[in-house]
Amino acid sequence: MDIDIIELSDTKARFVLNDVEPAIANGLRRVILAEVPTMAIDYVNIYDNTSVLFDEQIALRMGLIPLITDLESYVLPEDCDCGGEGCTRCQLSLNLSAEGSKIIYSGDLLSSDPKVTVADEKIPIIDLRERQTLVLEAVAKLGIGRKHAKWQAGVGCGYKNMPVITIKEDCDSCGRCVDECPRNVLVINNDKLEVTDPLKCNLCKLCMGICDIDAINVIEKPNSYIFNIETDGSYPAKELVIQGADTIILKAGQLKEILSEIE
Amino acid sequence: MVYYCTRCKRLVEIDYEAMGIRCPYCGHRILIKQRPTLVKRVEAV
Repeated sequence: MDIDIIELSDTKARFVLNDVEPAIANGLRRVILAEVPTMAIDYVNIYDNTSVLFDEQIALRMGLIPLITDLESYVLPEDCDCGGEGCTRCQLSLNLSAEGSKIIYSGDLLSSDPKVTVADEKIPIIDLRERQTLVLEAVAKLGIGRKHAKWQAGVGCGYKNMPVITIKEDCDSCGRCVDECPRNVLVINNDKLEVTDPLKCNLCKLCMGICDIDAINVIEKPNSYIFNIETDGSYPAKELVIQGADTIILKAGQLKEILSEIE
Repeated sequence: MVYYCTRCKRLVEIDYEAMGIRCPYCGHRILIKQRPTLVKRVEAV
């Protein structure tokens, strides 16, 4: 297995994963989407709300705010010594006390742990008018995307097969495949057909269909995948993939333990 | 039950079984229920 990184930023990653079985590539995708633990607001204690929105609507908005996750300091409530009742190891609180008139943003939430803060400070929660107040305490816990989408760290994660485009020597550079390609992968340069960026190809094979002399061939490279990952900000993209791989290892270990108990 | 009269802005205690929904001071019929002072826990879903 090896990885060629095409693009890597805090919230996005694009890489080619080579020499892996489809099951492993799909396993990684599914784990990133649904199994990596991430921090999100679980419930909200509302002390005062004279705004135009119902308490439930505000609570839903709070739940969907991504929080920077610190897996070293916190554990999942079901794995905690307190049994999920709520302690400093499995939950933290974020406080908000605001009065109008102004727009309240996610950055106005004050976290009890400086390591766990909102991932984006410019998410609007509510527009308060004069004399409207909102006082609340939000309690955040770790959770997984399988339970609710607010605990989904990898908001966009998918892969496609690696395309291999070969142009034969007998190509007459008629240019019909260039016009047919929806992704503008092909170009005629000095009367010669060339491939600009094979990673852009979506394997539609329209170029193969339009060519009368079968001079172009598009195939899927076996066991090679182009991954596209986007995070909600709770982890950097690189960290999310590492956590995904760790979760697969953890689950494989649990399976091994269960199987070893069977006589 | 304590309500807030939207015309005379007073907090009024009314017995709606005896006199219906009406402000005992000004007779206005639009009253707003006050928010209870206790903390309300709402699931963020």
